[in-house]
Amino acid sequence: MINLVGFVAPLIAGIGLGFLLREKKHVDLGKVTFGVVLALIFSLGFSIGENKELLEALPRVGVDAVVIAVLAMFFSAVFVVAARKAVGLR
Amino acid sequence: MIKYIIPTLAIGAAAGYLNSNWSSIISSFWVSNYLFNGSLMLLLFVMGLTFGMDEEAVTKMRRTGPKILVIPFAIVFGSILGGVVSGLVLGINMVATTAVSAGYGWYTLAGPLLGQLFGAEWGALGFAANFLRELLTIITISLVVRFDKYVPVAFGGATSMDTTLPVTVRYCGSEMLITAFSSGFTLSLIAPITIIAIAALG
Repeated sequence: MINLVGFVAPLIAGIGLGFLLREKKHVDLGKVTFGVVLALIFSLGFSIGENKELLEALPRVGVDAVVIAVLAMFFSAVFVVAARKAVGLR
Repeated sequence: MIKYIIPTLAIGAAAGYLNSNWSSIISSFWVSNYLFNGSLMLLLFVMGLTFGMDEEAVTKMRRTGPKILVIPFAIVFGSILGGVVSGLVLGINMVATTAVSAGYGWYTLAGPLLGQLFGAEWGALGFAANFLRELLTIITISLVVRFDKYVPVAFGGATSMDTTLPVTVRYCGSEMLITAFSSGFTLSLIAPITIIAIAALG
């Protein structure tokens, strides 16, 4: 979320190139993305591990945080499933 | 996939913790900036490429059109209701718990902003609750996707445009790419506005 444009640009470039390459043979990118996903998850973990503010806050506000997170996620899921059925999204 | 993700996350967290305690052998800026942003941009490009090549996914997307915007707004209402209910269940300031849940998982925004609006303790809670939303989304994706493929997008909230996006696409398929990304994008724009608006009620 650092830079919205920096994230939208590669996505659009990828979609554009995908359109152009449609006639080409199917490319299996599964293995490439798998490695990159792990690099992303590692750096996410790294930024959590070095974030002292977050690590100190967790045990102190842990229970409240779990309740808020779980309820927000639960009701979001209920509303999303209801909304997608209401507008006929499949 | 999930059996690799959780250990990788734990190893990353341990590495980050040890690194910050041992006078930063690795530049944390390098990991959190170059590695994080670089791998995310590469993933977005590759996911876009896979989506663009997938004729079926594109046709499906065209048919759906602007209807997908109901998803982020359903997440806004769901998260706010979650915040209200948690305030009641925990017996603490309901306006503040609602503002916490209106971070939609974006903890780097919610933490400092809530700290400013409600004080340091709420900043810590805003940080922790929204971080847990991201973490729980990644951990539970493989299970909740069986109920409905839109549930990971709902769980992810604002993180559906970046950190939880690759895992969501992996489990829900290429056709969910635009739905998840646009939902996360919209929520990222809405999050600061809803947090400030809710705080104004208190």
